[in-house]
Amino acid sequence: MSRRLLVNVFQSDQDILNATKAARENGYTIVDAYTPYAVHGLDKAMGIRPTRIGWICLGLGLLGAAAKLWFQIWTSAFDWPVNVGGKPLTSLPAFVPVTFEVTVLFAGVGTVVAFFLVSRLLPGKRPKVVYEGVTNDKFVLVLAEEDASFDVEKVEKLFAPFHMVKMEERVEED
Amino acid sequence: MIMNLHKSEDVLAGIPRLRRNLALVMALGAITASIGAFVAPERAWPNILLASFYLLSLGLAGVLFIALQYVSNAGWSVAIRRAPEALAGILPIASLLMVITLLGIPSLYEWSHADAVSGNHLLQAKAGWLNVPFFVIRTILYLSVWFVFAFYLRKFSRQQDATGDVSLTRKNKKLSGGFLVVIALTFTLASMDWIMSLEPEWYSTIFGMYNLSGMLLNGLAAIAVVVIILRRTGPLRTVVTDSHLHDLGKLIFAFSTFWMYIWFSQYILIWYANIPEEVVYFVNREKGSWTIFAGLNVVFNWLIPFVVLLSQWSKKNEGLLLKVCVIIMIGHWIDLYWMILPPFLKTGPEVSLWEIGPFAGMIALFFLGTFKAFAQANPVPLKDPLLVESIHHHS
Repeated sequence: MSRRLLVNVFQSDQDILNATKAARENGYTIVDAYTPYAVHGLDKAMGIRPTRIGWICLGLGLLGAAAKLWFQIWTSAFDWPVNVGGKPLTSLPAFVPVTFEVTVLFAGVGTVVAFFLVSRLLPGKRPKVVYEGVTNDKFVLVLAEEDASFDVEKVEKLFAPFHMVKMEERVEED
Repeated sequence: MIMNLHKSEDVLAGIPRLRRNLALVMALGAITASIGAFVAPERAWPNILLASFYLLSLGLAGVLFIALQYVSNAGWSVAIRRAPEALAGILPIASLLMVITLLGIPSLYEWSHADAVSGNHLLQAKAGWLNVPFFVIRTILYLSVWFVFAFYLRKFSRQQDATGDVSLTRKNKKLSGGFLVVIALTFTLASMDWIMSLEPEWYSTIFGMYNLSGMLLNGLAAIAVVVIILRRTGPLRTVVTDSHLHDLGKLIFAFSTFWMYIWFSQYILIWYANIPEEVVYFVNREKGSWTIFAGLNVVFNWLIPFVVLLSQWSKKNEGLLLKVCVIIMIGHWIDLYWMILPPFLKTGPEVSLWEIGPFAGMIALFFLGTFKAFAQANPVPLKDPLLVESIHHHS
């Protein structure tokens, strides 16, 4: 399946922010926005819902804690019991530092890996730059041309106050 | 935007009944403490020490917060800086309370009695540091040094409101850098003097850091409480956004976890080594109903803040953040009570008039003093070079 895209290039963060707001208010489908740096408020303007990666982080952290705690209890109290200073074999305070470290390790590394998987940034991935200036000083908003009623001229009029530099129709092949 | 940001009345002046009640609680607290000092010195003095130290920590945390912001060149906090500056404004009265607490030395500190020292080799060895004249000199030295820093940081900040001179920001940055070094050293020594020496045979090298982390956590909670009240009552209504609350919430979350980290660092070394002279500290604090306080301490200062403030929305939720901050402020009382009182109450904690009086009076004094100090300056630093950045801050 292919879809038709409309690539709009702007000159400043404020312009793309306002254009994005206007596009959403007028019911256009926003595919993505590309900026040289993080533009505050753009995620809200695009209507992206809050990320759920925090839940992955929490789950992985709990998994790390449980796994490491179990491992320590198993090694020091069951598989090879060692008496340390007359303390009980299962002494939780002694297990806390390592459990803490592994919780952080699982949660931290796991979240990064999860982020790469979710955004499909796998090794060998070739960069697809939507517009050359986007790595320097240009801001790009991509809209989807959903159906025949999509009118490029209407969009051009809508974006007129936002100093658009360029507008380009493209067909994306999957 | 800047229109109604000029000098405001004391927010409590708008609520005379609350002000009257706070003044009443303060007076009752002072009376209870004074009577207690004569009727039940062994019970009242530790609680007076706790109240003085608590109030002093709040004032110091205000200065520390300002210093951290200047040193890190932070823009986001400029619009709310007058709140920590108001906290710093209670340092003089808190210092006065601490000086009054010195009158309780005979009731508080075992090492101040010649007969206790003469029969104890350890106390004799420590007498060069732990003796009454040097103790009083040190206390006055700490208090004066802190006051000087607080005074000039506030003075330059207010001066800038009139002149708009950027060099005042540079001056405050230098002062702040100096203060960070000074507070690390002096607060470590001060907490060892005032609290650790209650049990003069016991020692813990992380004790100063532990108190510093608790002081900053409690101070951040108090700053958030003051900011939220000022936002609700008016002076900061148009200034404080969810982004400011979000950042305050992040700091509280981080320092709550830092406090827990330091708490555990102290605990595990002592628990592992199990040396009688060290471990006696925790043995005494887990005896009988002291265990309850040990648990509540961790729950109030870390578990509740950690779980509640874990997600972004809760840090931006004014009402929820306020509740967590109040829990932390109660938690800090539990923390200090658990540190200070066990040598005096071996069997378990007791909550009576001697506990409630001084603490409630001090809290009333804190709010009266802070809002009075806040009303003495413009609600925001009008000509700070970073004010615009702060007002448009987006976390």
